[in-house]
Amino acid sequence: MADAVLTLRPPLIEGDKSIAQVTHDVCAPMEARPSRLWWLALAASSSLLLLGVLAIGYQVAVGVGTWGLNRTIGWAFDITNFVFWIGIGHAGTLISAILFLFRQRWRTSVNRAAEAMTIFAVMCAGIFPIIHTGRPWFAYWLFPYPNTRGSLWVNFRSPLVWDCFAISTYFTVSAMFWFIGLLPDLATIRDRATAKWRRTLAGILSLGWNGSYRAWQRYEVVYLMLAGLGTPLVISVHTIVSWDFATSVLPGWHATLFPPYFVAGAIFSGMAMVLTLMIIARKLMRLEDYITLRHIDRMAKLVILTSCIVGLSYATEFFIALYSGSSYEQFVFLNRALGPMFWAYWTMVSCNLLIPQLLWFRRIRAYVPAVFVISIFVNIGMWFERFVIIVTSLSRDFLPSNWFHYAPTRIEIATLLGSFGLFFTLFLLFCRFVPVIAVAEVKGVLKYGRPHAEAIHE
Amino acid sequence: MSSGNKHYWKALEEKEGGPEFLKDAARDLVERGPRHFGRRDFLKAAGFTVGTAFATGCRRAPLQKAIPLLSQPEEIVPGRCLFYASTCGGCSAGCGLLAKVRDGRPIKLEGNPEHPFSNGGLCATGQASILGLYDSQRLQHPLKQGNKISRDAADREILARLASIRSQHGAVRFLTGTITSPSVLAALEEVLKSLPDARHVVYDPVSNSALLDAYAQTHGTRLLPRFHFESAGVIASFDADFLGTWISPVEYTAAYRAGRNLEERRVSYHVQFEPRMSVTGTKADQRFAVAPGDFGVLLTHLTGLVAKRAGISLNWAEPDASPVPMSFLEGLAEQLWHARGRSLVLCGSQAIEEQVLANYLNHLLGSYGTTIDLERPSLQMQGNDQDLESLVRELHAGKVHALFVYGVNPAFDLPGGDELRGVLSRVPLLVSFSQRMDETAFLAGYVLPEPHFLESWNDTEAVNGVASISQPTVHPFGETRSLLETLSAWNGKSKSGYELLRESWRARVFPRQKKESNFDAFWDRSVHDGYTEVEAAVFKTKPFDLRAVQPILRSSAALDKFALVLYPTVSMLDGRNAYNPWLHELPDPISKVTWDNYASLSPAAAKKLGVNNGDVIHLDASRTGLRTLELPAYIQPGQHDRVVGVALGYGSKLSARFAKVGPQWIDALLSVGDNGLVGQNVASYLELKNGVLHYSSTQVTLSRTGKQRELACTQIHNTLTVPEHLRPGGSGARPIVQETTLAAFLKDPQSGVEDDEEKEDLWPTDHPYTGPRWGMVIDLNACTGCSSCVIACQIENNIPVVGRDEVRRNREMHWMRIDRYYSESDHGQVDVAHQPLMCQQCENAPCETVCPVLATVHSEDGLNQQVYNRCVGTRYCANNCPYKGRRFNWFNYSHDDQLQNLVLNPDVTVRSRGVMEKCTFCVQRIQEAKIEAKRRGEKVVDGAAQTACQQSCPAHAIYFGDLNDPSSRVSKMMQNPRRYRVLEELNVRPAVGYLTVVRNRDQESKEEQHG
Repeated sequence: MADAVLTLRPPLIEGDKSIAQVTHDVCAPMEARPSRLWWLALAASSSLLLLGVLAIGYQVAVGVGTWGLNRTIGWAFDITNFVFWIGIGHAGTLISAILFLFRQRWRTSVNRAAEAMTIFAVMCAGIFPIIHTGRPWFAYWLFPYPNTRGSLWVNFRSPLVWDCFAISTYFTVSAMFWFIGLLPDLATIRDRATAKWRRTLAGILSLGWNGSYRAWQRYEVVYLMLAGLGTPLVISVHTIVSWDFATSVLPGWHATLFPPYFVAGAIFSGMAMVLTLMIIARKLMRLEDYITLRHIDRMAKLVILTSCIVGLSYATEFFIALYSGSSYEQFVFLNRALGPMFWAYWTMVSCNLLIPQLLWFRRIRAYVPAVFVISIFVNIGMWFERFVIIVTSLSRDFLPSNWFHYAPTRIEIATLLGSFGLFFTLFLLFCRFVPVIAVAEVKGVLKYGRPHAEAIHE
Repeated sequence: MSSGNKHYWKALEEKEGGPEFLKDAARDLVERGPRHFGRRDFLKAAGFTVGTAFATGCRRAPLQKAIPLLSQPEEIVPGRCLFYASTCGGCSAGCGLLAKVRDGRPIKLEGNPEHPFSNGGLCATGQASILGLYDSQRLQHPLKQGNKISRDAADREILARLASIRSQHGAVRFLTGTITSPSVLAALEEVLKSLPDARHVVYDPVSNSALLDAYAQTHGTRLLPRFHFESAGVIASFDADFLGTWISPVEYTAAYRAGRNLEERRVSYHVQFEPRMSVTGTKADQRFAVAPGDFGVLLTHLTGLVAKRAGISLNWAEPDASPVPMSFLEGLAEQLWHARGRSLVLCGSQAIEEQVLANYLNHLLGSYGTTIDLERPSLQMQGNDQDLESLVRELHAGKVHALFVYGVNPAFDLPGGDELRGVLSRVPLLVSFSQRMDETAFLAGYVLPEPHFLESWNDTEAVNGVASISQPTVHPFGETRSLLETLSAWNGKSKSGYELLRESWRARVFPRQKKESNFDAFWDRSVHDGYTEVEAAVFKTKPFDLRAVQPILRSSAALDKFALVLYPTVSMLDGRNAYNPWLHELPDPISKVTWDNYASLSPAAAKKLGVNNGDVIHLDASRTGLRTLELPAYIQPGQHDRVVGVALGYGSKLSARFAKVGPQWIDALLSVGDNGLVGQNVASYLELKNGVLHYSSTQVTLSRTGKQRELACTQIHNTLTVPEHLRPGGSGARPIVQETTLAAFLKDPQSGVEDDEEKEDLWPTDHPYTGPRWGMVIDLNACTGCSSCVIACQIENNIPVVGRDEVRRNREMHWMRIDRYYSESDHGQVDVAHQPLMCQQCENAPCETVCPVLATVHSEDGLNQQVYNRCVGTRYCANNCPYKGRRFNWFNYSHDDQLQNLVLNPDVTVRSRGVMEKCTFCVQRIQEAKIEAKRRGEKVVDGAAQTACQQSCPAHAIYFGDLNDPSSRVSKMMQNPRRYRVLEELNVRPAVGYLTVVRNRDQESKEEQHG
């Protein structure tokens, strides 16, 4: 009977892998010398990272004036980048936590990398709230810490304070979730390691994992709890981030639609980034058997779903503006589509709404290069979505005398590139030093869809 | 850190105390120069990483030791200010001012509310003139050929040269601006008398010589009358910018405002004819764009119509077609005639025939003796261009042996360019009294710098019968000597300015009054008040000479070319303010452009030429010998289509210092142009011919160059309606500025007000306001856009200067700004509205809820407080402010000039980089008033706390005070039916109310107006 159930669907992992093969496929590349391509990629991303560090150093030393902001437009690239990176992180948590609770076993091939992507994205995102402040050396004042000044508390009504809690919680939970999930795999590395440093390091990090029944049982319980903690974060974190805008009075920001709109958008861009990374990783690390076309297909379906939600949100915004009768609100949307920054708006719409529609077609979903290209466009579009929301709403608000335009400076562009540099550097290091696929979890789903389950062992 | 109980001294001399120390310290600062490389600079230069950046950010200010004066002078309480009455020396109008002196130096100038003609107002130039005192580039000692020379040596040499010139009967000329000081004029007279061929030539760089000449023709005496706008019921102005830059704008603004009192239903009717948009034109009820060459024909037509009503047949030939529809002129003539005795015709032209026609109109309308006072005329402009022209001829002929230049900069102001400069440099003895190394001082053999008006004794009689005193408020910083002292020294009387002034007043002013019999009491009272009213000198005028009146039948307007109109701006005037960074950064009231001059064109002309704002165009005059001019274009609605306007006063050598005035970072641009100066000098396009300095006689052809110079403009969107293709259905002008017409107002005082009912308060107990509640009302009908409030606020609150590039990036720091909106009324006329805007101190402030660190909170008396040392600079508050009243410190703005730092207001923090700031309703002044009231055990009286903007406004357009006090002026103004609040529907409940603009027009419906 077990066989009958397990053969209803195609195998999750292809290639008739045995457990030992899984371990070998994932861990062997880590133990060999890194390829030339990896070194080149690392050199490229590190140089971007260095560019970013220099740009940020200059900006923090000289002032926020080195950016293209002005008295009308107080946020542009800084908060766009912040929301962009936080949004990207949401897909990782969705795959790790929500899909776990939904018992979607195909997640096991991608959840490790996706969760790593989340952590790195949150790290990239976390830079911006700190450096965008005028006095970043006092940025810690946004946290309510016990002090001798009265005590002086923060303004709990401010969405930026909520952001602090949300982002720090998100980072903490994600990192913990990822790390706990890593424990069996770190133990695997420890056990396979021949080099002393690797054995010691992996030994410390694996927290004495001994593979006993008790260890596994506790592991499963903690994993479930963290998945349970992580699930609401997918919704709440970006809801809170969206409240940075929704709680303001600015037309174009002041909309109750923002929480679901932003959460959908976050999952949308995150999924696209996962696709971008996984499509490259599976090719270069020869993991096509683990991250199969079916995985890509399912992630693409999530992309099309969220693309439609985002498109619906655009339409809703327009409709509500019209229905509201507020000429300020109506103007903001007409201005977005037809005003001086119309090019940003239409980039956003075509990249987010039009191009992803191609994924309705199965043949396109099956053609990996197309999916890769579409995923890149989605991220471009999602970056522009935040840019359009932030900058167009600010640039033309209530009083026409305040209207002004925005153009980024070299420092801002370098900072954005630097954040990509950080992200990719960290991801490349992750690929090199940490098992890209959750070996233990994949072993758990190895037998799905394979009639001769016995052949799996050995 | 030690407590505040200990006293430390900075230097031994300081311990000994006394004013000498302050003098030495000041001189020390000046000689050391504005910068010296210190520890901080090394750290900055040593390179940085993020880590170092954080470390340098954690620096603490170096410990400074200071001591209060050991032997405390009488009346001085450290930390409290004393006010001294004086007279402004910013221009020749002579407004009375009060200098706020703190710790031995002036830090702010205010108008003297008791002064008979300035009435407490002070213009932007006057407010900003205090910075001239703390200018480290002022000359500190006499110079000979650019090298330091002692005063005595200079005197000896000059007197020796004069002696030899005297023996040779050589020509000596004193070339000055208008001098209103009777003492100086008397001393000068003595010097001139001692020389066989000596003359005093007076010219005003912005000349009204034709006006005076016209009175010589019509009334037999060359004079400038006093205009009484408060008595005028109908005002017709032909290119006279009396609210902006013409003669005495503070005086005229106050009087004009008095004549437009809606509460008393007494409103004048003002028509303006001008080639370009001026401040006065923005306030006119009807305004027409007229080319300069058409004014003669226009005046002729109007004169004919008025004469007809007066029953006089002129028998003039038919003039050319009127540039203004005859139907309108008929109406205007009817209004003028109907209001005869209360009419006023003004002409700002430099064509004598046009001025004569204006005089004739006034004569027909009976203005002389009512709105125009010839018996107690003004002495504010005495320039004589005929004398100037003959002097220039003498200079060219090499006939002048000695030229003394005071108060003017002929090498810069006058046409003639390099040729004139060459001629000036060839004068054997050229002496300049300039305060700075300007173009003329640069050529001079001797420079004997005069002191700033705030550090010397002087007197003024700007208006016949009002004698004012200008007293020093601080010891002079350098080895300067006032002109009065210099001339007296040369006359053999080496006395101090104080003694000389007393002598002069005893002899000349004291006898003209009968109230006091004791001179010392009279003197003390005059110094205390700043002015005294005496008997006017008698000005004999003859009856109107009708023979002088000639019609102007032919228009001389350019048909194929553009008339180049050169004009002074509110900020630069004739160029005298080119040293002043505040005034460079002050947005022009009309164009809102800073740090540049430009060529303004009408929208139609610009379209035809194919240029947009910032496109550099080529101006080519047909006159030989003139350099071609390339200036960025600016599109000016309401300007005549065949006029191109360029501001005078730019391209001065004094502005060379501003190349790097703003924050220096890798993408920063210079604040100067390619010529290394701010703007370009267009004085060569003036014409001094036929005894008159002409400002609009040159004609030019325009062409594109293809180059660009983006103008540093603080406002780029100029109407209250959104662009056509973005306009939601049914939406018109945004009700930010609300206006109506007089006809509609008389029917319903609330007409024009689009106000939402106050919504129910969700948090009624949040702000109980049990004590005072500060609020402000601004009368938009009174505001002329003169921008004096902007400068006053900048000085009071230590607002930094950011430089051209930062303004271009929309990062100017002015807390108070004046928004200027255009709209179109019937017959295509362009209407302009000015709206001063600052933090509205909202009750439900959107900024307060979003600040994460509680750096912006609400006070119990209604202020939205900004806590600088708590602000981390997330800028969420600024994003959430619907009025965008907040300003962010994008950089550390330089305060390296230690001398200039003396002007900083010690009561207001100087903000660091990364901190948000905004209008505080001058909380430091409110606190001062409250503390003083508490000390006396009284309540704060209405008017005790005055914001800087309110105090400076010449039109008294700003009301401020306690809204919880029903008897306060501001409470009453809040109840005014004209009062509305901006963006009321957002329910932010601003504490600032605005009174609608009411234009004196007949149409009742506002639908006639569209933006």
